[in-house]
Amino acid sequence: MAKTILAVDDSSSLRQMVAFSLKAAGYNVVEAVDGQDGLDKARLQAVDLVLTDQNMPRMDGLALIKLLRELPEYQKTPILMLTTESSDEMKSKGRAAGANGWLVKPFDPQRLIEVVKKVIG
Amino acid sequence: MPRKKILGSHVKRLLSGVSDHGRRHLTEVETDLRQTELLLEEAIEKLTTSFMAIHAAVGDRQSTIDMMLAGGTPSAEDSERLGAMSGEIGVHVNAAITSMQFQDMTSQLLDRTLKRVSGLRDFLDTVGTHGEYILPDSGSEEIVDLLGKVSMALAIQSLELRSALRKAVNQQHLESGDIELF
Repeated sequence: MAKTILAVDDSSSLRQMVAFSLKAAGYNVVEAVDGQDGLDKARLQAVDLVLTDQNMPRMDGLALIKLLRELPEYQKTPILMLTTESSDEMKSKGRAAGANGWLVKPFDPQRLIEVVKKVIG
Repeated sequence: MPRKKILGSHVKRLLSGVSDHGRRHLTEVETDLRQTELLLEEAIEKLTTSFMAIHAAVGDRQSTIDMMLAGGTPSAEDSERLGAMSGEIGVHVNAAITSMQFQDMTSQLLDRTLKRVSGLRDFLDTVGTHGEYILPDSGSEEIVDLLGKVSMALAIQSLELRSALRKAVNQQHLESGDIELF
């Protein structure tokens, strides 16, 4: 059965490109427009991996990760950040919040798929 | 200090504050716009290359496709080339996807610029509003007090604007970013 990835980004074009790349590799993709939407969708449907942007309206990526980690069903789910942010300070914050990895935009679809496969198979 | 000197030093402080804060913000605007320009130029260049390569990949096989549509049988070499077309186009599509992410980055840079310009307008409004309280017959003590208030208000406004506009996009090129697994 295909694994499901929750892609959270306020940029619709970015979401489309992530979904296109992951679907081509055989994954199901659920899209969310910001952190709050991502949290709502993660509560509704169990996902195998969360791929989230950082800077978004209503709720940013770090806040989303912290809230997801408070939910029993998401304590061990891999969460990757996919963001333009590249500072060590932000990466440390991501790690402390519970992220399992940090991908700096722009992403290369092939490399993204390799990372996703490495993390969830 | 004589009243005239106090007034002069307050005017000087206000003018240099407006100049310093304004220059600092405009320098950031300039930097963000130059970065946006670089990213846009590179995106157009790379996307053009990708689309031309996709067109060429299909065009190279067109004669074989035409021959097959006419009922012909392609050679082993042509069959192999047709089979490899999807992979070849995939490489160019992946490159195009990386380049198309210019939109995400440039929109963040433009949003930051717009917020900064809007903040600078508020900055100038503050100068104007305080200036309205200075009347032709205002006493120098009253003017000194107002100048002190406007200088303080501008400094706070400028700092708030700077802290609200943290730079989240430092990319100068559209190349695949770093990946780090924790």
